[in-house]
Amino acid sequence: MPLEMSASTEGKTARLNLSGELDGASAASVRDAVDKALQSRPERLVLAVENLTFMASAGLRILIFAKQKQPDLKIYIVKPQEAIVDTLQKTGFYQSVYIVDRETEELKG
Amino acid sequence: MEQQRFPGTLDALEPIRKYVEATARSAGLDHKAVYKVCLAVDEIATNIVVHGYEEAGLQGDLKIGASVEDDNLVIQLEDQGKAYDPNLHLIPDAGDLSAPFESRKIGGLGIFLALDGVDDIQYKTTGKANIHRFIIRLPHEREPEE
Repeated sequence: MPLEMSASTEGKTARLNLSGELDGASAASVRDAVDKALQSRPERLVLAVENLTFMASAGLRILIFAKQKQPDLKIYIVKPQEAIVDTLQKTGFYQSVYIVDRETEELKG
Repeated sequence: MEQQRFPGTLDALEPIRKYVEATARSAGLDHKAVYKVCLAVDEIATNIVVHGYEEAGLQGDLKIGASVEDDNLVIQLEDQGKAYDPNLHLIPDAGDLSAPFESRKIGGLGIFLALDGVDDIQYKTTGKANIHRFIIRLPHEREPEE
């Protein structure tokens, strides 16, 4: 399933909705969107991924990219599917991001 | 082994995953195992396209096929790019995997996930082609005791 993406920024929160499959082919567009979102130096990057069904290591490299570009950035991953949580755990990313099952008011702006 | 052929570009990743998913599912793997096999093949296919073809200035195909051998599902991925043995690649160790983002190394994560996703990856290069064989032990019901 092709990747679908939408981006928005509210207050200090940059948000990306991702659905479909994030692989080596689609990662460049997501990386560009993250790069653009970080230009306003948000406090938080919220990745809404409830309908993201596949994520390759290219997705992990985007997380590294975001944190290396802005080390004080807090990354929230909202409602990841079990297989993606498994990837985050195995690769040690689980401790470096906030995994949440819903967006609180704080995350909305 | 009947093979499907795709151009050696990143656009081939999605149809390759579809092929692997259908093959693994029909071989009896559960949802989690199917995902892991798809991830393993996807990571290696990505490396072939990026390192074996694009960075090496080469063009070619990705051929994929599958068979059941003994109690194993074997998925075979063949290319004509620069030789690239995943088993010789440095993969992140426990220290790398627990490092904070700021000092994380980018490389090796894909190979790590590929090796984690299947029971074995066998590799050989013949000079004309590079062949990755992904070995997945199939679940089987216990024979009733007599």
